[in-house]
Amino acid sequence: MQGCAASKPISRGAPVTAQAKAFPFPTTEKTLPSGLRVFVVEYDSPGLVAYYSIVRTGSRNEVEPGRSGFAHFFEHMMFRGTAQFPTEKYNAAIKAMGADSNAFTSDDMTVYHILAGAQALPTIVTIEADRFQHLEYAEAEFQKEARAVLGEYNKGASDPLQPMVEALYDHAFQNHTYKHTTIGFLRDIEDMPNQFAYSRQFFDRYYRPDNTILLIVGDVTADKVLPLIEEHYGAWSTGPARPTIPVEPPQTREQRATVPWKGASLPMLFIGYHAPAFSTTNIDSAALEVLAELVFAERSPLFRRLVLDEQKVEHIDGSVERHVDPNLFNILARVKQGNDVPYVEKAIYDEIARVAAQGTDDKTLAEVVSRTRYAFAGHLSTADRVALVGSEFLALTGKLSTIDDTFALLAQVTVADVKRVAAKYFTPQNRTVVVLEPGEQ
Amino acid sequence: MLLSTAVAAASTSARADEAKGASPIRVVRLPSPSSPLITIRLVFQAGASDDEPGKEGLANLTAAMLGEGGTLKRTWSEVLDALYPMAADIQYYGDKDTFVFAGTVHRDNLQAFASLLAEQILTPRFSVEDFTRLKQDALDSITKTLRGNDDEDLGKQALATMLYRGHPYGYPTAGTVAGLSAITLDDVKRFYAQHFTRERLILGVAGGYPEAFPDTYAARLAGLPAVGKPRAKLAPPPAREGMEFLLVEKPAHGSAISIGHAIDVTRADDDFYPLAVAASYLGEHRTFTGILMLSMRQKRGLNYGDYTYVENFIQDGWSTFPQPNMPRRQQHFEIWLRPVPPASAGFAIREAIYETDKFIREGVPAAGFEATRAFLLNYINLWAQDGSRRLGYAIDAVIYGKDVIAELKARLPKMTKEDVDRAVHKHLSTKKLAVAVVGDGLKALAEALSAGKPTPLVYDTKDTPADVVQEDKIIEAYPLPVSHFNLKIVSANSLFEK
Repeated sequence: MQGCAASKPISRGAPVTAQAKAFPFPTTEKTLPSGLRVFVVEYDSPGLVAYYSIVRTGSRNEVEPGRSGFAHFFEHMMFRGTAQFPTEKYNAAIKAMGADSNAFTSDDMTVYHILAGAQALPTIVTIEADRFQHLEYAEAEFQKEARAVLGEYNKGASDPLQPMVEALYDHAFQNHTYKHTTIGFLRDIEDMPNQFAYSRQFFDRYYRPDNTILLIVGDVTADKVLPLIEEHYGAWSTGPARPTIPVEPPQTREQRATVPWKGASLPMLFIGYHAPAFSTTNIDSAALEVLAELVFAERSPLFRRLVLDEQKVEHIDGSVERHVDPNLFNILARVKQGNDVPYVEKAIYDEIARVAAQGTDDKTLAEVVSRTRYAFAGHLSTADRVALVGSEFLALTGKLSTIDDTFALLAQVTVADVKRVAAKYFTPQNRTVVVLEPGEQ
Repeated sequence: MLLSTAVAAASTSARADEAKGASPIRVVRLPSPSSPLITIRLVFQAGASDDEPGKEGLANLTAAMLGEGGTLKRTWSEVLDALYPMAADIQYYGDKDTFVFAGTVHRDNLQAFASLLAEQILTPRFSVEDFTRLKQDALDSITKTLRGNDDEDLGKQALATMLYRGHPYGYPTAGTVAGLSAITLDDVKRFYAQHFTRERLILGVAGGYPEAFPDTYAARLAGLPAVGKPRAKLAPPPAREGMEFLLVEKPAHGSAISIGHAIDVTRADDDFYPLAVAASYLGEHRTFTGILMLSMRQKRGLNYGDYTYVENFIQDGWSTFPQPNMPRRQQHFEIWLRPVPPASAGFAIREAIYETDKFIREGVPAAGFEATRAFLLNYINLWAQDGSRRLGYAIDAVIYGKDVIAELKARLPKMTKEDVDRAVHKHLSTKKLAVAVVGDGLKALAEALSAGKPTPLVYDTKDTPADVVQEDKIIEAYPLPVSHFNLKIVSANSLFEK
C-alpha cells in the first residue's frame, strides 16, 4: 500500500504559531504486506541520513516473573551478529561507514539508530534487515553480554536516582509491568546468563515486522529507499501472538518508602501520581503537561519560593512522560537539608492544591503553550533529533501525524481543565512517595 | 536549507574578525539565512586556571553569578520569567581555560533574548541572595554530588588530582571546599572586572540572523572593559617518573577506573592528529569497535564500556560527541574504564595497561590504521550537525589556531601508519601512568597490587574461548610497579578539601 505524503512543509522562516504544523517535513509512509511500516522523512541535512528501527517492545512487555530488564538486554544481543554478518563483520561495516550507531530501550520501545553518510544507505538497509531477521549468537556470547549489562547496572548504581526510581515504581504498581525499571531488578540481571533459551523466544515473539517501524530521516527520498527496503525486508514474516499486559487497578492508599544511601548525597524527595496513558484525544494528558509547567517550571511560584527565596531546595521539577499505558506524573526535589524534606513535601502539595482551587490566568496559559511549541521546534534541528522525536511518537501510536495532534490538543487546554486535573489526580491515595536518606550529609 | 553549504564552507575556514570600532572583541559569523534558529555563543578565555590561590572555585562562581544570577534591572526570578515564553535558556558552562554563555532561539525572539543575555553579561546584579545560593550549590556539587552520586566523574576528577598536582587543572572547576568557603562577594566582583573583558571574549553567531546583528551586538558588548588582568602563563604539569595509584574508598557497587598521563600536545600541534587516530583505534568514545571495548567488554563481559582520549573529553548532553568550547592549553592521554565488578578491578587495570603497552610496542596494525582512518574521515562529518555545534567548532578553531575537523579532513588522506606509530612512541607511555580507582573495599586490591600478586578474572559465564583464557593468564600477572610509595588509599570525603 502506498502511503500518503504529508502536506507541504511550512517555510523555515515562518513564525511558530498554534496553527503551523509542529512536524512540518515531507513524509512518505508505506506498509509492506508483512505489516512492516516505513516512514521516510525528507529533511535538509546534506549528505546525512538517520536510520531508526523502532521495535514497539520495551520493559512494559516483560510479563514473565524473573525477566525484568530483558528487553534492554536483548537490545545488547542485537549487536552480536548473524551468519552473514558475524559481529566482526557487522562492526567493520559500521566502522567503514563512520557511523554513529547505538540503541536504547525504554518502558515502551527499543530503538536502534544509525547516523551516517547518505551514500551508506544501501549498506545500512542490508545489515539492519539481516540482523532483524537472522540474528544468531552462541550461548557463550550471550553470557558475556549479560555481564556487560550488569556493568551497565553498576554504572548507574552510583547515582541515587537509580534505586529511587526502582523503589517508586515497585511501590506504585502492583500488577502492571511498569512495576520494574527498564534496566530491571538486580536479581534478574544477575540471573541473565541462565536465560539463553528465553532469549530466542523473545526474539521470535517481538522482533517481527508487525511490531517494528522503520523511520528514515535526512538526505533521502522515498523512491530511492523504499525499493531497497522491500527487497531486504520483504521475506520477513509475522510470528506468534504476543502476551497481553496486565492492567493496573486504581491505587487505593498512599504508598511510602525510604531509600537509605550509604555515601554522600543531598536528601531527595520523589513523588509519583498515577496519570493517564499518552493520548491525542484525552484532554487530561495535555492538561497535565500544562500543569507540570505551571507548578514546576523555573518561573513558577513554587520554584521561586523553594529554590530562590527560601533556598531550601537545590532543584525541583515535575513532569508527566508519554507512555502506552497509564504511568506516573513524577516530582523530584533535591533538598539541601534532611530535616526540610517534610516542609518541602507539604509545600508541593499546597501549591498543587492552590492551582486546583485558583487555576491560572489566560496569559500564563498561552505562554505555556507558546513555550512548548518553540521548545519543540528547537529540538528539530538535526536529522538525528527529528528521527529521535519521531521514533517516540511512532512507538507509542504508530503514526507521525500524532505529533501535530498532540499540539492541537495542547492548544485546547483551558484553565478549567487545569483546575480539574489538579484536583482529580493529585490525591493522597493516588500517590507514592520515596525519600532518599543519605548516611552522610 | 537548515545547514547551508555556505555555512559548511564558513565553518571550515572560520576566522575571527574584530568588531568595528575600538572594541577588540573577536566575532565569528556563520550565516544560514534560511534557518529559523539563531545561536549566540559568548566564549570568554577565562576559567578555573585564573582562580586566585586559596580561592579555588572563584572563576566558576563568578560565571554562575552571570549565568544564573540577576541583573541590575531584574532579579534572577524575573530573568527566568522573561526567558520562559521564548523557550530559551541561557546555557553556561566552563572549564579550566574558558567559560561559555550560549543560547539558541527562534528568530522571532532574537532581539529579546540577545538583549537579556547582554544585560546579564554587562550588568550582573551580584546580589547577596544569588551569591549565597550559588556558593552553596557549588559546595554541594563537590561534597554531595561529586563525592557521592557519580563514581565515574569522581574517578576522572581523582585522576586530575594526580596528573595536575599543584597545577591549576588539579581540582574540579567548581573549586575546593576551602577555596569556596573563603570566597566573598567582593572577590566575585573583582574577578568579574578583571577577567570578563573584551580582550578575552569571542562572540559567535550562527543561523538566520539579520546581517548587521553580529556587529551591532559586538558594539553592545563593548560595554565590557577593554582589558583586565593579563593571562598568566600556565606552568607545565608536574613530571611523573613512574606510575602512581590513588584508590578512592566509598560505598559502591562497582569500581570506576580512570588512567592517564599528561601530554605536551593539543589540537594546535601536528602530532595531535596521528594521536587522535591512535585514540580512536584503541577506544573511540561510545563506539563498539575500539581495541579496549572489544577485548574487555565483548570478549570478557567485564563492563559497559572502555574508551581512550588524547584530550579532555566532556560529552555534549546525550550525544556521542564532545562539548565544544572547552579548549585547554594543556592536555592528557586518558583511558576510561566504566565500572567493573570490585573483584575484577585488578584484572581490568592490568588489561587496559597490557593492551596499551602492546599497542605502543607493536604499533597500529596496518589494517587497523586503514579502518580507523576511513572511519574518522566519515565520522568527523557527524561532529557538527547543527548551527550551535558548528559555531562551537569554529570558535575552538580560533582559539587553537586550527579547525580540528578541517585539519583531520586534510591530514587523514596523507597520514601513514608510521606517522601514528611515531607520535605514539613519542608521546604515550605506560611507565608514567596515574591510575584512579573509585570503589568499595579497595584495601584488598591495594594489597594484591603492592605484593605483585596475580589478580585473576573469575568468570561466572561458560565457554570462554581458549585463546582468551590463555591471554588472561598473561594479563592477570602483568607486572605493575606498585608499592606503598606510589599507592595511596583515601576516603572520597577527603578529596577536594583544599
